[in-house]
Amino acid sequence: MVLIQINGKMVKAHEGEMVLSVLRREGIEVPALCDHQALEPGGSCRLCMVEITKADWDGWTKNVTSCLYPVEEGLIVSTHSEGVLEIRRNILDMLLARCPNSDVIQKLAEEHGVMKTSFDTLPDSDNCIMCYACTRVCEVLGKSAISAVMRGHKKVIASPFGDAPPDCIGCLSCAHICPTNVILWKDENGKRTIWNKSFDLITCKKCGKETISREFADYLLEQRDIPADYFETCDDCKRMELAFKMGGLVDGAEEVAI
Amino acid sequence: MKFRYKVIPSLCIGCRTCELACAFTHAKDKKPGRSRIYPIAYKKDKYVPVVCLQCDDAACVKSCLFDALKRNEETGAIELNIDRCVKCEACVAACPFGCALVDDVHDEVIKCDICEGTPACVQFCPTKALVYEKI
Ligand code: FES
Repeated sequence: MVLIQINGKMVKAHEGEMVLSVLRREGIEVPALCDHQALEPGGSCRLCMVEITKADWDGWTKNVTSCLYPVEEGLIVSTHSEGVLEIRRNILDMLLARCPNSDVIQKLAEEHGVMKTSFDTLPDSDNCIMCYACTRVCEVLGKSAISAVMRGHKKVIASPFGDAPPDCIGCLSCAHICPTNVILWKDENGKRTIWNKSFDLITCKKCGKETISREFADYLLEQRDIPADYFETCDDCKRMELAFKMGGLVDGAEEVAI
Repeated sequence: MKFRYKVIPSLCIGCRTCELACAFTHAKDKKPGRSRIYPIAYKKDKYVPVVCLQCDDAACVKSCLFDALKRNEETGAIELNIDRCVKCEACVAACPFGCALVDDVHDEVIKCDICEGTPACVQFCPTKALVYEKI
């Protein structure tokens, strides 16, 4: 257990945890777009920036991304100092230029008083902030189907050669984790399309409701020891099944009692 | 495990008070979401309250590639850490009893967490068909 100071208040933190997770636990709001607990911290969006210092730093301070900075004894953190707010406004200014059409960025910028970007906006922006949450989540999953391609301002997240990524299993984790909802997918007529790849969806053998993609289920079966037939019925029908099964037992027990 | 959640179907009258209790207890932003418990009629006037059975060797836990599901040894519940969840719905597809659900109101995956030890459904069930007891 270490003791740190956040905005003048002494707070207990666990050894080795990042400053951002302490802030979250304490209910101190700091914008953080690329942070997700399922991922290793990435430090790409830079919005979670805070100012740190220590008693023996002679008044020197340092700006760090809180999602990447581990706590240490005697750390003094301020999350809303004028300097930090200025940095956050600058970052949002740039993000707003990059993603002028993203409602997530617009809202965040407005909340920080950035009503309009001072830079030229990117024409036909796709709203991607290059935070790599999608590629990181795919990696955690053990697939790494997508990655960043090209260099510099041309850099984009894509599949190898822009083709249907051979390793993609259509689980939609990347699409759901994307903070600016850039990754699009479609479920239609028993098929799911994402990253230009088409997947068969499992349809419930009882009612025909579509659930996850067949490839995703196969991957789960390969990774984990789960009976394969669990995936063949949808959750609604499985609840019905359970009710009928338990109902049968109840009736059976009642008959025995009589 | 110190506690056990029990359903007694023969006492259930299908009033669905538990559903309301659940949806309101787990409300977010003052909006009730989807219930985690469903009394289902298996024949006329005979009901089974279907709710997560907190299986020992749970398929939902095994299916989660992000370790978002963990057993709370105090309450016995398998809890979903929503901050680790990426909504891949693997657990929804894997649960053999259909008790990991998608809540469309709040757009998230939900499952019964026994309300961290004070299950609202149990408190509200008028016929005591739901029991949460010490073992
Ligand atoms: S959350 Fe820390 S840099 Fe994005």
